[in-house]
Amino acid sequence: MPTLTLPGELSSLEPIADLVLEQARLAGLDKHATYQLRLAVDELATNIVIHGYTEHQKNGNIVATVDVDAHDLTVVLEDTAAPYDPTRRDVDCVEQDFDKPLEEREIGGLGIYFVRQAVDDFRYEWHDGRNRSTLVVHRPVVGNRSALTAANDRMI
Amino acid sequence: VTSKIDSGVAHLTLSGRLDANTAPTFKTEIEKVAAGKPQTLVLFVEKLEYMASAGIRMLVFTKQVRANDQIINTLEMTGADKSVIFVDEFQPAALVR
Repeated sequence: MPTLTLPGELSSLEPIADLVLEQARLAGLDKHATYQLRLAVDELATNIVIHGYTEHQKNGNIVATVDVDAHDLTVVLEDTAAPYDPTRRDVDCVEQDFDKPLEEREIGGLGIYFVRQAVDDFRYEWHDGRNRSTLVVHRPVVGNRSALTAANDRMI
Repeated sequence: VTSKIDSGVAHLTLSGRLDANTAPTFKTEIEKVAAGKPQTLVLFVEKLEYMASAGIRMLVFTKQVRANDQIINTLEMTGADKSVIFVDEFQPAALVR
């Protein structure tokens, strides 16, 4: 299960994106699903760095873990910033702004809105002194076999 | 990010990733270009592979967008497509409002 432990800084966004893109490719996600997942993880990691660590002058790591099984690709992001549950963020106000021109909109919430749109399941827990966000995307099914089997066949 | 100003029209070309880490570079370049007081700012983003929400806010000044399908999809998700025009080729005439 590939895991990256990186400092809670904006320069960590690129290696996290690279990990997600690589695992999405191995999991057989299509171009659209891959982009959406990468967007979701990038927005969450950005929030952790900016709102979790930087705004509170706090140092800490982001741990990104990707697990691919026969059905799902699961990304887990963990941090040691103050407890914050992104699944409870109200995004109704974000959606209401979509009819407004960009310059009249409220700032904030757009990233979390993308996360909700992008993945099949989005969970949060406070575990062992850490924030843990879990994003799950279902893998495409190729015929009667899973894409994993098909991907493994291609590697042989 | 590269930029040039050509008879009142500022051209900004973006490539690679526009995320929260690279957005400040883009902002600096926009401010540099804005100091020259161009009448129009055109962003060329067809070589931009990725744009996070941090980048969408920078499109406030933008009227025409030529971008890849995924970035257009992101803009459509947010209703930003109502604020900009998607084009296949830059059309100077369409900027006159």
